[in-house]
Amino acid sequence: MSDKLHKNPVVVEHARAALETFRSHSKSLGYATILTTDGFEVASIAGDAQQTRRVASMASSMQALGDAVARDLKMGTCDYIIIAAPSGYVIQLRVPGYDLVIAAHFDSAETLGKALSVARLAANDMAQVSVAAAAA
Amino acid sequence: MAEHVILFAGPMCAGKTTAIRSLSEIETISTEAANTDRETADKDTTTVALDYGEITIGDEDKVRLYGLPGQRRFDFMWRILMERAVGLVLLVNNDAADPLGQLAEFLEEFAELHERGGIVVGITRADIAEGPSLGDYAQTIAKSTSGAIIPVFTVDARDGNHMQTCLLSLIANIESRAALAYQQEQAA
Repeated sequence: MSDKLHKNPVVVEHARAALETFRSHSKSLGYATILTTDGFEVASIAGDAQQTRRVASMASSMQALGDAVARDLKMGTCDYIIIAAPSGYVIQLRVPGYDLVIAAHFDSAETLGKALSVARLAANDMAQVSVAAAAA
Repeated sequence: MAEHVILFAGPMCAGKTTAIRSLSEIETISTEAANTDRETADKDTTTVALDYGEITIGDEDKVRLYGLPGQRRFDFMWRILMERAVGLVLLVNNDAADPLGQLAEFLEEFAELHERGGIVVGITRADIAEGPSLGDYAQTIAKSTSGAIIPVFTVDARDGNHMQTCLLSLIANIESRAALAYQQEQAA
């Protein structure tokens, strides 16, 4: 079911809607991208096009590296990754049931717990996309 | 004990992950994701960060093998890994739409590695597709690098012996260039 998710209009439209809802849940959200696990941007909010495409590729690599570390340490699969920096952080996590990842940048005004919580909501929202429609 | 960091680069489907698995003495680390771009390459998974393996050459020279993603959207990984590398095994699949163009493109991208170490080119899938000849590849290398000496072989990425021949020729090239540079430095 993973073929061309980033070109499937149903998936892209659902991703846009999920990201808009995500934005309404956090004022600290800088930008957010939903990407395929092999690094194609599906939809983004804020950020310029070049930046979001690049973030999609980097987030794909980070997710795979997280999986590789978790696998090597026999921890199972990597559920989420947090990158913390002085002026904010990036959270990325898998969309349950799909070869999709959501990556989001928050400024430091948000608490990590709240950011992770709203990112999870967005991932679960994205997971509600109709499997049948998405496969069409 | 000498240590070398060698990169494996080339387009999707060139056999980079397979080559590292053929060569490595340790269980390789791979970072594959489901391939959603079947138009470019009809395979289930694709490398999105790196492959990693190790091999010992001679008594104690350790070679760290890093495979790079083939797609340009991951070129930030090329830059990161190129900083530590001394050499490059460039694999090109002979059944690609434009293997000579891809060879020229990757040679240009990784020219810095030729300057400070060495490059060897391996042509894969030459036995299953009627593509350019080794002479055509050699000409493309000569044109793309202003006549630099870069060996080119046909290889089967699944065959550890083929890949060792390729790798050893690269290591020999790197070490002889380093020795020559040292001699010139001493003479100066």
